[in-house]
Amino acid sequence: MKHDFIDKYGTLSSPLHRLDPRVKIVCLFLAIVVIASEPLTSAIVPFLLYLVVVVSLTLISGVPFRYVIVRLLVASPFIVVAALFFSFTLYLTGGDGGPGSPETFIMPGVVIFSRAVLSVWLLILLTSTERFRRLLEGMRGLRLPPAVTTISALLYRYLFIIYDEVLRTTRARESRTPGRLRINRFRVYGNQLALIFIRSWDRSHTVYRSMLSRGFKGDFPGMQRLEAGWNDLVFAPLFLSVMIIIRIRAWERLI
Amino acid sequence: MALSVKIENLSYSYEPGKPVLKSVSIEVAPGECVGIIGPSGSGKSTLLMHLNGVLRGDGTVRIGDLLVNEKSIAEVRRVTGVVFQDPDDQLFNPTVEEDVAFGPLNFGLTPEVVRARVGEALKAMNLEGFETMTSHHLSFGERKRVALATVLAMRPEVIAFDEPFSNLDPAMVQQLTGLIRGMEATLVVVSQSILPLLVCCDRIAILKDGEVVAVAPPREIARNSDLLRSCGLDISFYRDICIDYL
Repeated sequence: MKHDFIDKYGTLSSPLHRLDPRVKIVCLFLAIVVIASEPLTSAIVPFLLYLVVVVSLTLISGVPFRYVIVRLLVASPFIVVAALFFSFTLYLTGGDGGPGSPETFIMPGVVIFSRAVLSVWLLILLTSTERFRRLLEGMRGLRLPPAVTTISALLYRYLFIIYDEVLRTTRARESRTPGRLRINRFRVYGNQLALIFIRSWDRSHTVYRSMLSRGFKGDFPGMQRLEAGWNDLVFAPLFLSVMIIIRIRAWERLI
Repeated sequence: MALSVKIENLSYSYEPGKPVLKSVSIEVAPGECVGIIGPSGSGKSTLLMHLNGVLRGDGTVRIGDLLVNEKSIAEVRRVTGVVFQDPDDQLFNPTVEEDVAFGPLNFGLTPEVVRARVGEALKAMNLEGFETMTSHHLSFGERKRVALATVLAMRPEVIAFDEPFSNLDPAMVQQLTGLIRGMEATLVVVSQSILPLLVCCDRIAILKDGEVVAVAPPREIARNSDLLRSCGLDISFYRDICIDYL
């Protein structure tokens, strides 16, 4: 079974990968807060600058752009709908620029879209430059509530179970489907979907039993001790300073 | 030090009115290896799940002096390891090392001790160098050995095996029977394959429809063709093949 769809690039050895997961989590989440705090009336230039930063990080990380773009495309329908819905609402209700004027409804939509794309991109970078296990250790190191880390860990484990069942049932279906399906597709796929959930449910019970039998008490203790190094001390202030400089438009004040 | 296992009048049902285990009683002496055979659906795996309290039915299960109940569950799981039938149910961490370390870490051992135990368990299973590999990329036989290593790393005093010989090639079965015979813990081995059990067990119990119908040394069980036939475990088919072809 193929199981590397989550940690696919987590084992690379770029400067971004070598950072302490706690530092990475804090920095990328603060960056998301900075981007999200951009006003709806913001110009497009700051977003282009954020994009330069995020693209640079991606280049440094060695994570292929294709990988990032594919994941962005998965999230894009939600982002586009949110941006369009917001613009449409403003168009109908009118804004400070008067009802129906383009600057009142187009730019806010673009800002919503840009905020969301950059935030999702940063999250993709976070999850693809770190093994999931180390991210959990980072979350635990940041004293996040145990329920959050446990739910994340269980979700991670059960994702593989569901994925396994998808592969197994698909193989079973394809092995008995010479050429195209001649039976009602909806019925076949519907049955397969139902079976995937029933089998995943059963298997997750067995996996949980095996975890219990090895002393699982709701926590996933780790073997590695996290230690922040000099690279973390350089990266965190530098990265956050750049983000804040863009946010407060420091260059405008200088001019 | 190996511990005894004492099961008394154990009954269990998944659905009301359909008991899977009916007043089962078996005793295993410290260091003894007892095999449990029976046809599909006879309750073998269900019985095994009671040994470390994953399932709890009516009746009593004792591991040494410990009565398996809510209070003693942590200690019971520390001393009793279960090797599941399908290694994929047991291996859920990204790497072999993390999977083997899961049990010892849950018992609060320090990372240094855990690392040493992982090394020992992998060495015992001939899996040195597999630490950073992904369990799911290994062959079935290798995954079975990793699953066994996950239990060995906990240094249990009682080890319960659920169908350890299923889906293994003959060489692997031979290797596993050798490993089981060499273990110092108290062993309970559940299997549908009677032949490997004859080699590695001190006694064999036959479970049929949730009841223990016989407990005897392997030779006695193997020679009781009527009993085996009545339980759907007749091995004369294999004997005849061996006589014809070997």
